[in-house]
Amino acid sequence: MEDEAYIVEMEHIVKTFPGVRALDDVQFHLKAGQVMALLGENGAGKSTLAKILSGVYTRDSGTMRLFGKTIEGDLSPKQAQEMGVSIIHQELNMCSHLTVCQNIFLGHEKTKGSLLDNRSMRKQAQEVLSSLEIDLDPDIQVGDLAVSKQQMVEIAKALQSNAKVLIMDEPTSALTSVEIEQLFHLIRGLQSKGVGIIYISHRLEELQHIVDVVTIMRDGKYILEKPFKELSMNQIISNMVGREIKEKFPRIPSHRGKKVFSVQDLCAGPLVKHIHFDVYAGEILGVAGLMGAGRTEMTRAIFGADPKEKGRIILDGKEIAISCPEDAIRHGLVLAPEDRKKDGLCVKLSVRENIALPNLDLLCSKAGIVNRKKETEMVEKAIKDLKIKLSSTEANASSLSGGNQQKVVVGKWLARNSKVVIFDEPTRGIDVAAKVEIYQLMNQLKESGIAVMFISSEMPEILGFSDRIMVMCDGRITGELTREEATQEKILELATQFENKFETQVG
Amino acid sequence: MVLFIEKPFKRLMRIRGIGQVLTVTAGLVVLSIIFGIMNPIFFSSRNVANLLRQIAPILLIGIGQSYVLITGNIDLSIGSVVGMSTMISATLMTKGINPWVSVLITIIACLGVGLSNGLLVSFAKLPPFIATLGTMTIARGIAQIANNNYNTDSIGEAAQGLRDFFYYGKTFGLYNTIWIALVLWAIFNFILTRTKTGRHIYAIGSNAEAARLSGVNLVSTTTKAYLVSAFVSCVVGLITTATSGMGTMDAGNSYELYAVAASVIGGVSTLGGQGMLFGTIIGASIWGVLQNGLQFAGAPVAIRNIVIGIIVVISVLLDVIVRSGRGARKKRIESTT
Repeated sequence: MEDEAYIVEMEHIVKTFPGVRALDDVQFHLKAGQVMALLGENGAGKSTLAKILSGVYTRDSGTMRLFGKTIEGDLSPKQAQEMGVSIIHQELNMCSHLTVCQNIFLGHEKTKGSLLDNRSMRKQAQEVLSSLEIDLDPDIQVGDLAVSKQQMVEIAKALQSNAKVLIMDEPTSALTSVEIEQLFHLIRGLQSKGVGIIYISHRLEELQHIVDVVTIMRDGKYILEKPFKELSMNQIISNMVGREIKEKFPRIPSHRGKKVFSVQDLCAGPLVKHIHFDVYAGEILGVAGLMGAGRTEMTRAIFGADPKEKGRIILDGKEIAISCPEDAIRHGLVLAPEDRKKDGLCVKLSVRENIALPNLDLLCSKAGIVNRKKETEMVEKAIKDLKIKLSSTEANASSLSGGNQQKVVVGKWLARNSKVVIFDEPTRGIDVAAKVEIYQLMNQLKESGIAVMFISSEMPEILGFSDRIMVMCDGRITGELTREEATQEKILELATQFENKFETQVG
Repeated sequence: MVLFIEKPFKRLMRIRGIGQVLTVTAGLVVLSIIFGIMNPIFFSSRNVANLLRQIAPILLIGIGQSYVLITGNIDLSIGSVVGMSTMISATLMTKGINPWVSVLITIIACLGVGLSNGLLVSFAKLPPFIATLGTMTIARGIAQIANNNYNTDSIGEAAQGLRDFFYYGKTFGLYNTIWIALVLWAIFNFILTRTKTGRHIYAIGSNAEAARLSGVNLVSTTTKAYLVSAFVSCVVGLITTATSGMGTMDAGNSYELYAVAASVIGGVSTLGGQGMLFGTIIGASIWGVLQNGLQFAGAPVAIRNIVIGIIVVISVLLDVIVRSGRGARKKRIESTT
């Protein structure tokens, strides 16, 4: 930190995506040998900023200086890399069938004439690894390594290509405590070599071990930059969430009925641990949490889309066995999944076929022949109720806009009488008008006495629309709040309640 | 008059993939006219009857392959199942077993291959190419050991009824073989377009995960498609036995690829989710007309193969070009909004 010169200076950065201003007059500074934590809620603009810095996105306006050099015009990913900016994504990008050495030199292999110079690459790879005190054989296949080691190979690769600014996006999410300690050791090593590190993480309790300075963002805006020591955890949290809720939600009073649905001690993989909750008829239960908290995984396990290790699911007082989505649907439990294109729609099929698909049992005669009249009636009713805009019911699902596609995903589940309806991020990526229609639909379900559960990463939506809020972190339910007691601060506090993986060893 | 046909026409044009089917139908008509002009015998009632009888087996296996392709998979075992069917049925009959009992046993054996295909692909999750490559080799092996590595002797007089039913007999002036193909086509077309099973077949081919989350059983749906494929292949094997009056071990060689050709020319997507059996009829007919017409024109087998290969590639290429054009246009529209 004796080096006072900034290596990254970004001022007045603006970036808009269709319909959203992702970054609004943002500034960001980084010095050599500094570890900067970039903090903010889901959608605060952290990743967008990181992507602009690494050349993946181009800025709309604003100035950018790297190592004292002003960047004119757009920065390409390749330029950014050549200037020394490297990003290590949460999902590692390695060729698992190639060796450590081959991965480190991927894309800039050394050659002698037209032949690969394996010997010198191997030697340099060994040097980089030992300079980072990573004990790895360069000839081992990357696919055989643990995730933490793969991450180290990525860091070595970045360093080999002369990285001076290293962006790490949620680097510890897949690591064990010992591995985190190794990673922090590595980060300190890089720091002493003068590498500037941008550390993006939701795990606030880790920051104290490595971070020098904190930049906080909220809703695409720059909030503050301060040395970590001058901030308390509470100050950090309140700066992350401190926004007023402007949007109005068409909330209707709830008439909570009897307990319809219980999940007891559900376990399914690392992101679903001992889940336990109840849902009542005529209420909307909001499920809050940060990205990767295990909310989607939990609903998929309940719905039978993924296998569960253990757990009881009780519907109307009776335990039911769900081993595949078919079972869940038959019992009256349905899920409108998060990823429309991947899980929600058959995009090559028509809107009619998509809406009818889960309801064919209601539309078919005993012999399995589809009753076209009933089908048309059901589809037209769904389209009318949801105000889906389309040229014809025969239009391919892929031809609709995002909002209308989402309405189809939701609409196909409403044509049948279900007892529990789970929505996973029902309003992601759709416009305001479509959102309101989805809210109204959820209200209709609630009024008719159906238990509604919805997952959302948008705090205002969770606060404005749920009757009760359940918060998850790291595969566990960390708390439950009534509508009256819920605040953004309380939710975020529960959402960042990670199990303490990293024990403090410094006083 | 125009008004009268406008509505059904509009409705027709809305059917997915109708473009390619109409194009190849036009191609079929043009081809037939060219062959007809080159050689007037082409349109003689005798040749037309023969031509239809040539098309029938290709149509049948085309139906099977189309079912499997629409689920997003492929069945390479079709040709071997044809061989297995003809060898098992002929061997049983030469051993003096009642022809119809032999047929029943043959059908059960062939469905066994379809069941294995379905379970290997959907339950054991093997890549369909590998799974059916394996069963293709196994089924061919069964065809070979059925009669101890020999073709069978004549199935004899006792089986005359069977030969009439599958090949020589006529009903309402058309050969029975053609009726069998048409009736099975009508049944399987109905299943594919009007029943729950049919809808599920399209759905898993379009997006298996979305279909599963909508309550579609992937294992049973995939297996049903493979069973259909094995069944029609079995019928083609029985027709082959009836035609030649004996069992030959290499019967049905490369039929799986002819079936792919008929499906693909008719607009069935090898990526799944798309296609219709009406297209498969046209695809199989183009196949038959080319074989028959080129034969009349005196083209050797080698030339016929080359021509058919070129037609397959061109028809798929056309489809890809049309689709990518449409995709690019859509992208432009999205980016301007």
